[in-house]
Amino acid sequence: MNWNAVLPEILLSVGIILIFSFELFLSRRYYKFLTFLAGLVPLLAVFSLLFVSVPSKTFFDVFYVDTYTLIGKALLYVITSLSLFASYDYFLKKRADYGEMTYLILTSSLGLSMLISSVNLTLLFLSLELASVTMYILIGTFRREYLSKEASYKYLVIGSVGTAMLAFGSAFYYGAVGSLFLKPYQGDNTLFLLSMFLILSALALKVSSVPFHFWTPDAYEGAPTPITAYISTAPKIAVYFLLVKISTLYSHIKEWMLLVALLSVLSMFYASFVAYAQRSVKRLLAYSSIAHAGYFLLGLVTSDKILSSALLFYLSVYIFAALGSFIVLAVLEKRENFTHHFMDYKGLGRYDTLLAFFFSIFLFAMIGIPPMALFVGKLGIFMGLAKLGLLPLAILFLVASIVSTGYYLKVIVYMFMEKADKKWQSVQLSAGEAFVLSVCATLVLLLGIFPNMLYDLIAKGL
Amino acid sequence: MLNVAIFLPLITAVLVLVIRREKFSKTISILSSAIVLLIILALFLGFDWNRAGFQYENRYMWIPTLGISYHTGIDGMAISLLLMTAIMFFASFVWSWKIEDRPNLYYALFLMLETACLGVFSALDFFLFYIFWEGMLIPMYFIIGLWGHERKVYAANKFFVYTFFGSMFLLLGIASIVAYAYITSGQLSFDYMFHKNMKYPFWLELLAFLLFGIGFAVKIPMWPVHTWLPDAHVEAPTAGSVILAAVLLKMGTYGFVRYSLPLFSEASKYYIPLIFFLSLVAIIYTAMMAIAQTHIKRLIAYSSISHMGIVTLGTFALDVNALSGAIYMMIAHGLSSAALFMSAGFLYDRIHSYHMDDLGGLARYLPKLSVLFMISGLAGIGFPGLAGFVAEFLVLLGTFKNYPIWAIIAGTGMILSAAYFLYMYKRVIYEEETISEQRLEKWRHLKDVEIHHMIPFIIILASAFLLGLYPLPFVKIVEQTSRYVLGG
Repeated sequence: MNWNAVLPEILLSVGIILIFSFELFLSRRYYKFLTFLAGLVPLLAVFSLLFVSVPSKTFFDVFYVDTYTLIGKALLYVITSLSLFASYDYFLKKRADYGEMTYLILTSSLGLSMLISSVNLTLLFLSLELASVTMYILIGTFRREYLSKEASYKYLVIGSVGTAMLAFGSAFYYGAVGSLFLKPYQGDNTLFLLSMFLILSALALKVSSVPFHFWTPDAYEGAPTPITAYISTAPKIAVYFLLVKISTLYSHIKEWMLLVALLSVLSMFYASFVAYAQRSVKRLLAYSSIAHAGYFLLGLVTSDKILSSALLFYLSVYIFAALGSFIVLAVLEKRENFTHHFMDYKGLGRYDTLLAFFFSIFLFAMIGIPPMALFVGKLGIFMGLAKLGLLPLAILFLVASIVSTGYYLKVIVYMFMEKADKKWQSVQLSAGEAFVLSVCATLVLLLGIFPNMLYDLIAKGL
Repeated sequence: MLNVAIFLPLITAVLVLVIRREKFSKTISILSSAIVLLIILALFLGFDWNRAGFQYENRYMWIPTLGISYHTGIDGMAISLLLMTAIMFFASFVWSWKIEDRPNLYYALFLMLETACLGVFSALDFFLFYIFWEGMLIPMYFIIGLWGHERKVYAANKFFVYTFFGSMFLLLGIASIVAYAYITSGQLSFDYMFHKNMKYPFWLELLAFLLFGIGFAVKIPMWPVHTWLPDAHVEAPTAGSVILAAVLLKMGTYGFVRYSLPLFSEASKYYIPLIFFLSLVAIIYTAMMAIAQTHIKRLIAYSSISHMGIVTLGTFALDVNALSGAIYMMIAHGLSSAALFMSAGFLYDRIHSYHMDDLGGLARYLPKLSVLFMISGLAGIGFPGLAGFVAEFLVLLGTFKNYPIWAIIAGTGMILSAAYFLYMYKRVIYEEETISEQRLEKWRHLKDVEIHHMIPFIIILASAFLLGLYPLPFVKIVEQTSRYVLGG
C-alpha cells in the first residue's frame, strides 16, 4: 500500500479524530480554541502536499494523485481552513457553538479531497456521500430555526436523488464498460450514454446547475452563513477538478457537448433573470452562484487545454470572491435583527465602510471587471470558446455576463448610494473574519494583476 | 518613466486610503498629479518628432499562457492626450481643494481614475488596454453616484450599464481578432504591433470594426447611444464632469484612431457613409438639442456630443489634414469643455442652480468669472485664436477635399454652436432685468473666483490660447500619428 499518496488525507483524518476526542472532553468555552485547531489541520495538509510523490496510485489503484489533483486539494484545504477561521465568532454570537461543527467541516473536506483523487466510481460515490451527508448536517446546524431545518431537509431529499442518479449511472457504466474505473471509452452505446447522463446530472446537482438547482437558494439561505460560505465554495472545487478530468475522457462524445452546453446556458440565463427578483441579498448570491455554475460548465463543453486551465483559474479565484462575500454577510448577520433584505443594506457604505468596501470588491469581481482576477478567468473561457469556434456560446456567455451586472450593482447601489432607514449598532470584526476577508480580497486583486502565479501552475498540472 | 507616470497616482491612491487625513490627501494628490504632469512634460519635450511609430516602449511578459504582455509606448497622439490628461487631473485636484464630503475617498477615486486614463492612452496590448479601459468604470461610477446631485444613482447606473455594455462589444471584437490570428498563425497574442502587421479577411474586418466601433461609440458617445452622457454630466460633481468631458470621451475617439483605422483599414473605407451619417446627425441634431436646453450643464453636455461628431467626421475622412484636425480637436475640446464645466460648476457653487431661469445678470457680480466663462465658450465654439478653431478648420479642410457636401453640412454645426453658446451666455451673464430684489440681496455678497478656482482656469485657458495662437509645433506632433495611421 502506497501510504505516501494519501498523506494529506491521513493528516486530515488524524486531525478529525483528535478534535473529536478533544471535543468529547473539553467544555463549551473551548469552542474558539477547537475551531482554531481545526483550521490549522487543513493548513498542515497543504504543507504535506509537498511531500507527496506524484504521480502515484493507491487503494487498488482507485485513488490517483498527480500535480493536477494536488492543486485542487491545496485550494480545497485553503478554503476549508479559511471558512473555519472566519466562523467561530458568528457561532458564538448566535449561541450555536456546537463543537461538532469543527470536525464536521473537516470530514466534509476529507470526502471532497478523496473525490478529487477518485478514478473509480465506487470511490467517487463514497467520497461524494461522505461530503454530502456531513453537509446536510452542517446546513441544519440551527436546529431550532425553521429555515435551517427546511434547508437541510430539502438538500437531503434532492441530494438523495443525486445519490440515486450516481448509483444508477455507475451501474449502467459498469454494464457498458465492464469496469468501474473511469477510462477512455470509444463507441456509441446507449447504455453508456445513459450512464454519462446520470453521472453528469448527479455532479451538476452538486454544483447547483439548472435544472438541478432547486435546493440551492433555500439551502444557502437557511444554512448558517459561514456554512453557506463553505458549501458554496469547497464542493465546487472538488467537483470541477473532477469534471475537468472526466471531460478529457468523454467530451469527444457529441451528446456530452450538447448536454453540458444546455446545462450551462440554462444556468446562466435562468439564474441571472431570477436573481433580479430577489429581495434577499443572500438568495441573490445563491442565484449568482448558479449563474457561475453556468459559466464554469462552459469550460467543460469540450476538453481543451486553454479552456480547462481558464476554467480552473476562474474557479480558483471565484471561490475566494464567493467565500469573501458570504463572510461579509456572516459578519453583518451578527447584528441584532439584521436580515438580508435589501433594505437592511441601505447606507452600509457610510456606517460600515470597510465591510462595504470588501463586499463591493467581491461583487465587482463577480461582475468580471478588471483588474479583479475573475476577469482574467472570464476572458480565458471566452478566448477558449472563441478559439474552438464555439462563438455562439461565447456570445451567450457575454450576454449573460452583461445581464448579471444589474443585480450585483443593485447591492452596491443600496450600500453606497442610499441612505439608511434604521440606525444599526456597529459590528465588530473578529480577528479570524478580518484575516479571511483580507486574504480573499488580496487574492482576488493580486491574482488579477499577476494571474500567472496560479495560471501557469494550473496549465502545468493539466 | 512612462510607467512611473501611469502608476504613481494609483500608489498615491493607496496612500490616501490608508492614511485618511484630509489635508494630507489633498496635498499629496495635487503633488502627485503635478509630478505626473512634469514627467509627461519631460517625455513630451524629449519626444523625437521626426520618427514615425512608438517611442518610450516598455515590454514585459505578463500572462504568457494567454499571449498577454505588459506593453506600453506612445506616439504623437498619445503623448498629446497624455499631456492633456495630466493637466486636467492636476486642474481637477486643485479645483476640488475645498471639498468637504469624504475627501479621502474622493481623491483616491480620482487618482485611480488618473491611472486608468493614462494607461488607456499608453497601452499597446489589447488586454492591457481593456484593463485600463474598464478600470475607469468603477471610480467614475462612484464619483457620479456619491458626489453627484439629486438623481445621481440613476445617472451613475445608466453610465455604468451603457459603458459596460459597450465594453462587452469591445471585448468581443478583441477576442474575435485574437482568435482569428491564433487559428491562422498559431500564435496567441494580444499585442498591438503583432495585430497591426496581421492581415484580416474582409468579413472579419467588417465584423471586428463594428464590434470595436460599438464599444468606442458608446464612450464617445455617438448618436444614438449618447443618452447616458447628458444625465451623467448633469449629475456628476464638477471635477467629475471635467474629467468625463475632457478625458473619458476622448478614449472612444482615440480608440477609433488607434485601433479601428490602422487595423481595419478596408472596413473603415466601407463604413465611411455610416460613420459620416452618424457624425452629422450628432453635429446638427445635438447642437439643436443644446439650443433647446435651459440647464447649463445639459447644454454643455450636448455641445460635447456635437463636437465629438466633428472628431469622428475628421477621423474617417481618411485625409492627413482631417485626421490631424480630429486629433487636435480631441485636445482642444478637452480644454474648452473642461473650462466650460468649471464655469458651470462655479456658478452652482455660488448660486446652487444650473437653470438659466435662476441666473442672469451675473456680469455685475462675478466679473472675473464672466471673462473666464466667455473665453471658455469662445474656445468651445472654435473662435480664431483659440485651439478649437485650428482643429475645426483642419477637419473641414481635410474633409472638404474628398467629401465636399458632407463638409459643408458639418460646417453649419459651427454656426449652431455659436448660437447656443451666445444664447446661454446672454441668459446667464447679462439680462439684468431678471434680477429681482430677492436675488439682488443674495448676489450682492457673491464671492468671485478664488485662487483654487483661478489656477485651473488659467492653466487650461492658457493652453487653449497657446494651441490656438501657435499651432504649428502641435500640428506637426499630431501629424506624425496621422501619417503613421494612414500609412503615408
